[in-house]
Amino acid sequence: MSNPPSSGGGPSSVSASRTQTLKRSVQQAFDDPNDRGVGPNMGYQSKVRVIDRYKVIGFISSGTYGRVYKAVGRHGQTGEFAIKKFKPDKEGEQIQYTGISQSAVREMALCSELSHVNVIRLVEIILEDKCIFMVLEYAEHDLLQIIHHHTQPTRHPIPPATVKSIMFQLLNGCQYLHANWVLHRDLKPANIMVTSSGEVRIGDLGLARLFNKPLHSLFSGDKVVVTIWYRAPELLLGSRHYTPAIDMWAVGCIFAELLSLRPIFKGEEAKMDSKKTVPFQRNQMQKIVEIMGLPRKEQWPHLVNMPEYAQLTTLSASSHHRNGGSSLEKWYYSTINSHSASSIPSSNASLGSEGYKLLSGLLEYDPEKRLTAQAALNHSFFQSGDKVSANCFEGMKMEYPHRRVSQDDNDIRTSSLPGTKRSGLPDDSRPGKRLKE
Amino acid sequence: MAANYWESTQRRHWQSTREQLDVLRKKLEDEDQNLVQMYPLAQLRHLSIYFNQQIGRLAKRLGVRQQAMATAQLYIRRFYSKVEIRRTNPYLVIATAVYLACKMEECPHHIRLVVSEGRTLWPDFFSSDTSKLGECEFFLISEMSSQMIVHHPYRSLTALQGTFSLTQEESVLAWSIINDQCMTDLPLLYAPHIIAIMAILLALVPRPNQTGAQSANNSAGNIASAAHAALSSFSQPKAGAPEKQGGGARTKLQRLANWLAESNIDIEAIVDCTQELISFYEVYEQYNEKLTREQINRFVKARGLDK
Repeated sequence: MSNPPSSGGGPSSVSASRTQTLKRSVQQAFDDPNDRGVGPNMGYQSKVRVIDRYKVIGFISSGTYGRVYKAVGRHGQTGEFAIKKFKPDKEGEQIQYTGISQSAVREMALCSELSHVNVIRLVEIILEDKCIFMVLEYAEHDLLQIIHHHTQPTRHPIPPATVKSIMFQLLNGCQYLHANWVLHRDLKPANIMVTSSGEVRIGDLGLARLFNKPLHSLFSGDKVVVTIWYRAPELLLGSRHYTPAIDMWAVGCIFAELLSLRPIFKGEEAKMDSKKTVPFQRNQMQKIVEIMGLPRKEQWPHLVNMPEYAQLTTLSASSHHRNGGSSLEKWYYSTINSHSASSIPSSNASLGSEGYKLLSGLLEYDPEKRLTAQAALNHSFFQSGDKVSANCFEGMKMEYPHRRVSQDDNDIRTSSLPGTKRSGLPDDSRPGKRLKE
Repeated sequence: MAANYWESTQRRHWQSTREQLDVLRKKLEDEDQNLVQMYPLAQLRHLSIYFNQQIGRLAKRLGVRQQAMATAQLYIRRFYSKVEIRRTNPYLVIATAVYLACKMEECPHHIRLVVSEGRTLWPDFFSSDTSKLGECEFFLISEMSSQMIVHHPYRSLTALQGTFSLTQEESVLAWSIINDQCMTDLPLLYAPHIIAIMAILLALVPRPNQTGAQSANNSAGNIASAAHAALSSFSQPKAGAPEKQGGGARTKLQRLANWLAESNIDIEAIVDCTQELISFYEVYEQYNEKLTREQINRFVKARGLDK
């Protein structure tokens, strides 16, 4: 099998005469014989070469940023690695240095600086052949994959001790990020990694940034942040004031999803119109209102100052929501009790009322009243019941399937894939972010 | 980490002693002995002054804020602690450092704009090819091991100005002293809060002919002598607090001395910082812009580094 010609003879158009096994083609994504960029003068050349240091064993996923590969060290480096190769600006043509995007610069700088047990660990960054390779520790699982596993073949809940441990570790990582003035801005199950020893690692800091740099308002840069299902109401209502609370809303959504195995607010994204104005995400806001009731200015004083405040009146709340009532409590109890009928001992009913209090504290409309990561860590949810384990798989008999790593690297050449494609997850049509296999 | 200097890459990887720094630089020169002999250069402090001027010119055209300029200066200093200057085109390195620093400090500029401004400022030494700057960015980031988050003394100054009840004028002076120390090795030697305290100290010492010294380096001699006085007052702490008439600044100076005595802050380090800056101001007096420029331009042209 040979690779299709790449669009326009880019970096990966290796000489056709070369025998190309599939395995080879994965390696070739790293091995670009063209133009090693050694000018007569200060031509830049990397001191280390990715393929000299790592043996690529497969393809994991791709996204707008580039592609991720799985690799092992060639020089006895312990463990496995995920190598994120940033996509050059104009793929397909002869690649040129065009300046590194600000988000890549942020991610490189932040990952180099951060060091915490619940944040994905950077091993090194190699700048080679006009490409950026971020070498990260490899994590066998992620929350999306774990949640998905629990829907197969029928829905069966994630054990309560696992939920508790995942939440504690996730909050612990958030607390570290926020204490260091880092906003993640894209927390969602696919970005929360879990190692084979059950340690949670917050990953993908591609949208993360420091919030202690007020040179420009945080709004002015990138206008739309956070995958829509996890987007905080203040962002949906057009707030220009970013705070760590937007991450905490996402954590609340993830908590809910760990319990119900479905996104709690599964809205449809309104696309940007031709004028590139950001539309009001009516459908997403509607989904929130259906469970949380309409936000009221009594519970959220700054609500009336939100740019899209007027839009709220056009949303329909069901009858008992009209006066601002929330049915989150009902949602919670019916969710945690739903599996108990099927006589599965590991029902989440044991998470009890403390679980509801934590969830409602995270899904608080007013960002100023929403639980902070620190407050959530001190929540009685983690004090009651069994001790929280640092290994979220502790006591589990089963093992989650391993991340699928593909040798079929054909997709690597097709540069026009929108959104994220990942290997091995038949996925429930996440909005614009994934494609079915 | 980002909020915590003590855990930062700056402290762990980019803070060294003078001796270590000297060894690094000596090694670079030894590796390129021929180049070094063929193209003599002014002393490092003079080169730093020249770079600072050029950064200032570029920053002015781009409307870049002081903090991003300070970041660019630190990037350049780190870079040249690892790469022999005669192997590079300093104009390209300057523009690249500014371009990168602006992205890190959240005030980005398009690469084409940076290149076209560079071209306007240094037409004979700067390529209009944006990929040159893009390539240099790889070089710069690689030499810095992607450690681009930096801690400046400005934040400590802002935090401390209330503690010492600095007047507007004193704060402005301390701020400009911090700007000036970017031209020295201090950012590679000391923690930002040490440098901030040094700047406050120098801003508070009474100057013989107190004019509204906008830019400290204009009155290097004055500051130098005044700082010497302050240092000697430190060597005899709490010696009957001579705060008769001196007024505000003198009382504040005493308060600073008391505050330091009660803190864990390394007084020796502050003394050393002060001396470093004073000797910088003295060296500044001998700075010859034309000579420095000609020396740089000569190796850039002769080695075809502008291509």
